[in-house]
Amino acid sequence: MTTPAAKLIGRLESGRHPDLPESTSGTVRLDLREDGRTEHWHLTIADQQVRVDQRGDDADLVLRADRAVFDRIATGALHPAAALGRNDLTVHGDIRLFMMLRRLFPGPPNARHPREAADSTPARAGAANSGPAAGSQR
Amino acid sequence: MRQERVHVMAGNAFAISDAQGDVEGDPTAPTGLFSWDTRFLAHWVLRIDGERLQALSRDDVTYFETRFFLVPGTASHYVDADVSVIRHRSLNDSFNERLIVLNHSPEPAELTVRMEIGTDFADIADVTKPGSVRDRRVEVVPDSQLRQLRLRYRRERFGREAVVTSTEPVEVDERGMTFRAQIEPHGQWETDLHVGMTVRGEGDRDMRADLATHRLHVHRDMREDLRGWLERAPTLVTDNNSLQGTYQRSLVDLAALRYEPLSSLERMPVGGLPWAMSLYGRDALVTCLQTLPFTPELAPVVLRLLALLQGGQLDDTYEEEPGKILAELRYGEAAAFGHEPTTMYYGAADTTPLFVILLDEYERWSGDTDLVRELRHPARLALDWIDEYGDSLGDGYVRYQRRNRHQGLVNQCWKDSAEAITDRDGRQPEAPRATCEVQGYAYAAKLRGARLARQVWGDPEYGDRLEREAAQLKQRFNTDFWLADRQYYALALGPDGAPVDALTSNLGHLLWSGIVPAERAGALAEHLLGPDLLSGWGVRTLAAGQRVYNPVGSHLGAVWPWDNAIVASGLRRYHFDAEAARIADGMFAMAARIGGPAPEVIAGYPRTLTKYPVQLPIAGHPQAWSSGGLLMLLATVLGLRPCGDDLLVRPALPAGLGQIELLDIPGKWGRSDAYGRDRADGVPTRRPGLS
Repeated sequence: MTTPAAKLIGRLESGRHPDLPESTSGTVRLDLREDGRTEHWHLTIADQQVRVDQRGDDADLVLRADRAVFDRIATGALHPAAALGRNDLTVHGDIRLFMMLRRLFPGPPNARHPREAADSTPARAGAANSGPAAGSQR
Repeated sequence: MRQERVHVMAGNAFAISDAQGDVEGDPTAPTGLFSWDTRFLAHWVLRIDGERLQALSRDDVTYFETRFFLVPGTASHYVDADVSVIRHRSLNDSFNERLIVLNHSPEPAELTVRMEIGTDFADIADVTKPGSVRDRRVEVVPDSQLRQLRLRYRRERFGREAVVTSTEPVEVDERGMTFRAQIEPHGQWETDLHVGMTVRGEGDRDMRADLATHRLHVHRDMREDLRGWLERAPTLVTDNNSLQGTYQRSLVDLAALRYEPLSSLERMPVGGLPWAMSLYGRDALVTCLQTLPFTPELAPVVLRLLALLQGGQLDDTYEEEPGKILAELRYGEAAAFGHEPTTMYYGAADTTPLFVILLDEYERWSGDTDLVRELRHPARLALDWIDEYGDSLGDGYVRYQRRNRHQGLVNQCWKDSAEAITDRDGRQPEAPRATCEVQGYAYAAKLRGARLARQVWGDPEYGDRLEREAAQLKQRFNTDFWLADRQYYALALGPDGAPVDALTSNLGHLLWSGIVPAERAGALAEHLLGPDLLSGWGVRTLAAGQRVYNPVGSHLGAVWPWDNAIVASGLRRYHFDAEAARIADGMFAMAARIGGPAPEVIAGYPRTLTKYPVQLPIAGHPQAWSSGGLLMLLATVLGLRPCGDDLLVRPALPAGLGQIELLDIPGKWGRSDAYGRDRADGVPTRRPGLS
């Protein structure tokens, strides 16, 4: 099985995650729905590391979505919080763990470091700014 | 003439109606019942026997409760009605309205009471940006048996639902509810209307029902809660009624603006009514900084939540970077479906250093070193962000440049309107831009981080490094931003390092941050108190006399109370006590003249010209950082400052304020009191070296 979600889950287990505070700990279950079946992944987070088991035990946080939604999150095509906002992903239990776990998902593939963006900006090449002028939204 | 608007609010929910309590669908005005960024009621009009009502009077009981006293018929020169109506409206998790119809005649009355009901489920962002209005198909299900009208909107799995129910028997149709009220002579009839608002989650349940944070929320008695909030705040004793009124109102406004985000067990401030009824990182951080001597319970909630929501990866759409502190968070359809990048938006260059500043300042007041230890990791990430991602050109300055070229903010500093960063002649620099106040914040964040590293995190080497970097930044800044011919700092540097020379209120933020050498502070004070910047009510965002100056331009000449609170605090930091008192005096006068909640911004017209603070239509109220700003001004003129385990008090009150006492100021000292008395002739002015 090599769907993007499975690959991401596999990657979570390897190594430390310095993005996570040392104090973050808890259990998360991912319920991936597909064709009327649900696949369970159980994550145990502690000491900036993640242990992954394929079992359906209770957890502090349960995330439930179609596999296709998890795949889109795993490739960075869908922001986890937007998936939650659309109700494509549901959260049971401690939503704070979801906000932490979010950091372990990859961002979009073409995202730029601000330094890269500064180097490639037309402004730096002497051209004028393009795009609509977005101001404060309030 | 535009009608008066009446609001009730609770959490991130609010309802805005006209003076009769009616709401008539207006796609471009924030009227109606909103919650979680969605309009659940857009039409809510009461008729008796087909007639609209007119208001006799109103009792705004508190921020979540209002009573309208009404009679049928249009306004006439003489009202002698047989019937009158009381609409008692309150807002908590749901919207409630008790309708009481009184028959004043000696005959029985038979009346048709009709409530017209409708909604469009608009996102607040649609209202902000007319033209982007979506046409939503609203499913309406009337059910007279259940005395209920359901209004529902679906888009894929996204769903919002309003359910209106009545306690009295009622005929329900698709456009409202009709009651046949039979009322005894001198009798009354009443019904309770309840509007439940659902944010659809799994299996049509409200999504909040599945959250542990939400289950732990206690259902509060809102009156009791407000009483407790006011009791925990210090007591102001003064003969000055308008100052007392301003103080009490500011506390109540801050109470009104608290909400529980999904990821928090406790409440924190939203930005303000009506445009910013959600989490705004900058507004929340600033409000906490302003209110530490008064309502310190907000700060740990905001710090924990912003740490939880801290940026984790690079994302151009949301302008996210690891370690960056959030700018704005929304729950509505526009955010969920990406019409706005606000599901978690990070387009702000100042929130990240402000986060570190608040963590340190909070500890100085509270002595809560446990929280500083708990938040060591996010604080380190925030400090790292300054150099790794903030400094996008590698020249040592924190800059911003939107990577979301269609939806992102052009200006990611507090002056976030698109034209705000300009030189004296209206030329705008290219991106990435480095605005001056952000450099001040970065400097302060490094110094404060150094203190925390030494005193709490047990990492003196890191503290040394941060101090070294702060010193270098200060030196560099004072070379590159200083305009020697004009004797002030440039508003910004463009990418080529060219200074943007507009004269602005940002100078006060530099004083507040401490990045200004003492010998230059006098020149800044002269500018800030000079006729071009000072309107009489307060310091303008941008000084008159420059080509782009516009007294009704949000960031090009208008006056912001929160900005003035920072300016006054900065002036006192450099011992310009009389100057700080003058600004406080103007702001207190503004608040007193307006009488209601302090607006976010007022026009920059000279006070001598208008005699009255002119409010801008775009300005919302109440606003957390405006109400917080007034409290900060009070703390500033009292000279409140924590020093070790003690509270220092060094009053420098504006003339005419009389004697004031602020009792039971909370902090690591327990509770402490402050006393101050104005001098009949005002605070002596310190003449700096320059003049």
